[in-house]
Amino acid sequence: MEEKYGTSISKGLSSARAAEILARDGPNSLTPPKATPEIVKFLKQMVGGFSILLWIGAAFSWISFGIQFAQGAESPFDNLYLGVVLALVVILTGIFAYYQEAKSTNIMASFSKMIPQQALVIRDAEKKELPADQLVVGDIVEIKGGDRIPADIRLIFTQGCKVDNSSLTGESEPQSRSCDFTHENPLETRNIAFYSTTCVEGTATGIVINTGDRTIIGRIASLASGVGNGKTPIAIEIEHFVYLVAGVAISIGVLFFIISVSMRYKILDSIIFLIGIIVANVPEGLLATVTVSLSLTAKRMAKKNCLVKNLEAVETLGSTSIICSDKTGTLTQNRMTVAHLWFDDQIYSADTSEDQTSKYPFDQSSQTWTALSKIVTLCNRAEFRPGQENLPVMKRVVVGDASETALLKFAEVVLGDVMDIRARNKKVAEIPFNSTNKFQLSIHETDDRNDKRFLLVMKGAPERILERCSTIMINGKEEPLDSEKAEAFQTAYMELGGMGERVLGFCHLYLPENEFPDTYPFDTDSMNFPTSNLCFVGLLSMIDPPRSTVPDAVSKCRSAGIKVIMVTGDHPITAKAIAKSVGIISATSETVEDMAKRLNVPVERVDRRQATAAVVNGMELKDMSLQQLDEVLCNHSEIVFARTSPQQKLIIVEGCQRQGAVVAVTGDGVNDSPALKKADIGIAMGIAGSDAAKNAADMVLLDDNFASIVTGVEEGRLIFDNLKKTIAYTLTKNIAELCPFLIYIIASIPMPIGTITILFIDLGTDIIPSVALAYEKAESDIMNRRPRNKSKDRLVNEQLAVYSYLHIGIMQSVGAFVTYFTVYAEQGFLPTTLLGVRVNWESNAINDFEDSYGQEWTKYQRTYLQWTGYTAFFVSITIQQVADLIIRKTRRNSIFQQGLFRTSFLTPRFQYWFVAVPFAILIWVYDEVRKLFIRRYPGSK
Amino acid sequence: MATLSEKKTCSERMENFRRFIWNPETKQFMGRTLINWVWISLYYLAFYVVMTGLFSLSLYSLMRTLNPYEPDYQDQLKSPGVTLRPDVFGERGLQIYYNVSDNKTWDGFITTLQTFLTAYTPAAQHLNINCTSDTYFIQDTFDGPNKTKLSCKFTSDMLQNCSGLTDPTFGFPEGKPCLIIKMNRIIKFYPGNGTAPRVDCTYVGDDSRPLEVDYYPVNGTFNLHYFPYYGKKAQPTYTNPLVAVKLLNITRNEEFKIVCRVVGTGIISDNVHDPYEGKVEFRLKIDD
Repeated sequence: MEEKYGTSISKGLSSARAAEILARDGPNSLTPPKATPEIVKFLKQMVGGFSILLWIGAAFSWISFGIQFAQGAESPFDNLYLGVVLALVVILTGIFAYYQEAKSTNIMASFSKMIPQQALVIRDAEKKELPADQLVVGDIVEIKGGDRIPADIRLIFTQGCKVDNSSLTGESEPQSRSCDFTHENPLETRNIAFYSTTCVEGTATGIVINTGDRTIIGRIASLASGVGNGKTPIAIEIEHFVYLVAGVAISIGVLFFIISVSMRYKILDSIIFLIGIIVANVPEGLLATVTVSLSLTAKRMAKKNCLVKNLEAVETLGSTSIICSDKTGTLTQNRMTVAHLWFDDQIYSADTSEDQTSKYPFDQSSQTWTALSKIVTLCNRAEFRPGQENLPVMKRVVVGDASETALLKFAEVVLGDVMDIRARNKKVAEIPFNSTNKFQLSIHETDDRNDKRFLLVMKGAPERILERCSTIMINGKEEPLDSEKAEAFQTAYMELGGMGERVLGFCHLYLPENEFPDTYPFDTDSMNFPTSNLCFVGLLSMIDPPRSTVPDAVSKCRSAGIKVIMVTGDHPITAKAIAKSVGIISATSETVEDMAKRLNVPVERVDRRQATAAVVNGMELKDMSLQQLDEVLCNHSEIVFARTSPQQKLIIVEGCQRQGAVVAVTGDGVNDSPALKKADIGIAMGIAGSDAAKNAADMVLLDDNFASIVTGVEEGRLIFDNLKKTIAYTLTKNIAELCPFLIYIIASIPMPIGTITILFIDLGTDIIPSVALAYEKAESDIMNRRPRNKSKDRLVNEQLAVYSYLHIGIMQSVGAFVTYFTVYAEQGFLPTTLLGVRVNWESNAINDFEDSYGQEWTKYQRTYLQWTGYTAFFVSITIQQVADLIIRKTRRNSIFQQGLFRTSFLTPRFQYWFVAVPFAILIWVYDEVRKLFIRRYPGSK
Repeated sequence: MATLSEKKTCSERMENFRRFIWNPETKQFMGRTLINWVWISLYYLAFYVVMTGLFSLSLYSLMRTLNPYEPDYQDQLKSPGVTLRPDVFGERGLQIYYNVSDNKTWDGFITTLQTFLTAYTPAAQHLNINCTSDTYFIQDTFDGPNKTKLSCKFTSDMLQNCSGLTDPTFGFPEGKPCLIIKMNRIIKFYPGNGTAPRVDCTYVGDDSRPLEVDYYPVNGTFNLHYFPYYGKKAQPTYTNPLVAVKLLNITRNEEFKIVCRVVGTGIISDNVHDPYEGKVEFRLKIDD
């Protein structure tokens, strides 16, 4: 071994040699997934969405400027400016979107920078603390309980070493490690400890055999980054919307280009019209609005402990229809807690809530309880770390395994100072728990000065403990353990075990004073003291209890039409118990096995379709074909997968996606990263999660709490609703911006609105209301609807487009045109005079253009009037957009049910503001009627 | 994040499209049943009829509120524009370029002037009255026939040498061309504040050489009795008063830029944006 890695077990590598290898292999850290270069991201923003259309518009403007300039025309600069403005619009919105995107990425970047890990290395024959990324192959490292393994290590010396491989294999039971080669497969053999797993207890020394990306974890992580990133549902929706609008813009543009050419307009003019039509159709400000809305929501979610890595993932969560959730830590508190006690032939339940509010949940007057509590306190090796006296008991750090910790905390809460009790009952001998005995035993002096007897206390697997007992304590009195009492024990044991709890039995024995005097030499190896015919005292059962917020969150998911599937590596019984207690399996539903038991028939004869719930074991899953899995996923609404491996998690996710579901997956281990990537939205755990999982995920739950996901779902749905409102709002005015061009071309009236004015509406006055819509509160039914069907509930559907364009849009146009005609008529040009005047109106040579009253106008005076017309048109669109905003505030509810808001304006010729007001009111009334009908006759087309 | 879109084959797409056009099971044509289509068409028909009706109603009530004699506002018409005849508009604005010896180059100008002056023949002006007063012709009542107001006569003979009557070539062949200056009509505009506004032509930029000009009528004034204008409906036979300028000492073969201003109180001629407000600029070049 030494030779192979060029090292010495006692002296380690020399610093020079280590530096050499470090230079060759690179640092011992996982290469983060390749980031897209910033410039590429930036350019993507510049050409994405409508940008291409606007660039084309800008290019056309410049071309026509070039032609006009070359011809020496009078005012070619208008087109130059238009081109510049269009380009600016694209660049500015691009920069804006890039900035927003970058900001949310930065949150993640700061998050992933964690405290550098240290490793104890032997180099130059000295022990040194080095940052873990400086490790090289051949280094000798020492590990002790609580450390994270700094690299893949071949162990050469171990002492009671156990590692937690859960981040690699998903198996939560710690596995012991030794120097012996036990298996061909490196994953199975006992003499290798893997990078990023944790050493739970014991110490070990080993040679580093792999570092960085060459470690097993590194290989898995790089495998996950190979899974391609697809498009998010909202990206698809926005793309769909862009195609739709761009399609409309281009087809109307080209149609009118042809019309204007055939109406003998100059080609150059026709191109200008084309640009105008495109600009009128494209909602320039919309994509910026979408980005703002998403990042606002992302911020809001971050406050609620959901950190979103990818802005678009905000909405994905809203369309989620299946959540595959982990159990440990996500649904549960991730700590063993005493849940039930059994003594005096009765089951008592203990308080399992996070804050332990009820202090005395059971009868403590019984003598049996006094005896039991003594065993719980004394027969326990776990201890609080010193210096935590001010912390609540549940938050204190404990040295010891999970069940002992649970017992210690339980005792501390119920009895008070455990350490003091232990000090008063001095321990004289102890046999720690081991897998052959399956019990733990200790012998203590008692704190009763009159009682010189030693107390022997024992705990362990209930059936083993019972075997060693001949009596049982009932109400403080020892009674013989007859078959009836043994039966009662069995029933209680089965009941507690059936609740998925880990049950421990407790017994004691006061050693007779005469046989075991003060000075008796207890020898734990030869066991020179009785270990049978003890007195059975009681049972305690422990479970990792569900978080208190979870049942509510699960029922919210259910009413929101989201299926919650539990995927866990735990035992089916435990999994099912937790699933039942949080409502993943509801109280009324049964599994096939439950039905078989109730009907008293064999499992095979039960109609599988009748069972709403299913608990699928990992072993069963292994033998299932894809069709069978699909059947399970289809037929049962409540599913728990137990004893699953991380690979199976991926299969489950794929199965759900085959059903057409949008799947959210939670995960923490490295091995979860492929499933996280595969899911539509991967959710990593912020506390328990590994870096690889966080990298692969789209979202990070800072508090590891399932309830936060539900908050996320609500926000996601809200953003979809609000974006829909924003888009409906934005699309409406497109018609009012487009009609002027069409009528200008066909009826040859003076131009009602200029291209730059349109840009001003789109990017100026319209952005703020659009963003305001993104702040709208959720409508009351938001969490009672089914998740949207991604192929049917589009962001922009036919109805929305038709309603915006052909109903409200038309009304707005009519309103705007009435304003336009009013302005011109009151200044001297009656509507009839305006028809067909375009050529003369725009001629620079005509400076005595006659109006309806016989007055004569110079070109400049007409142009000035035209600008007034632009302003009036702009104002009337804005005014009517206020009505539009009001109607878009709700999708179904009447505006009277949601409440109004106020706004104010200022302009010259104030009366023109009011021309459009009746139309604004008309729009509002029309929409109220529509909503009334929708509420009256829901579901009709 | 995994991709969501499922690829469809071309034939599936075609089949879907065919099914969209006509779905035999539900008897739906393009997503709706025929009766549904009829209803929806009727709805849209009704909707657009109502919208058209509303639009017409709005315009009708707009027309009802308007005064037929004068517009409600004259925001842009604070001061009149000035135009030139003949008005040949080239790349660099109004330009009068011609060759004395080539009558084809000035025939066009003469025709323009003659056509323009047809509105000022005695026959064309016979409905108008002769005015002699040199003050504003203010009419508060409708003294003319059919609820109209009277207009003052302006006949081309008032332009004397530039009337086209004595010299049908308007002095073009001699290199002393006649040009006609017209001021735009603005309803109820009182130019000059009691003094008749007059036309004043100068070279642009070159003040050293005086431009010798004969103005017709004398002094190049617009007589005040042509003002104010009461609008087309009140004065259907109104014609703008004119001033003719005869340029006398134009150097041949050289291009000049000349500006003719209307001088008078209330007439703005220094608006940088509007080159035709209160003045008219043109380029002149007479070749041998």
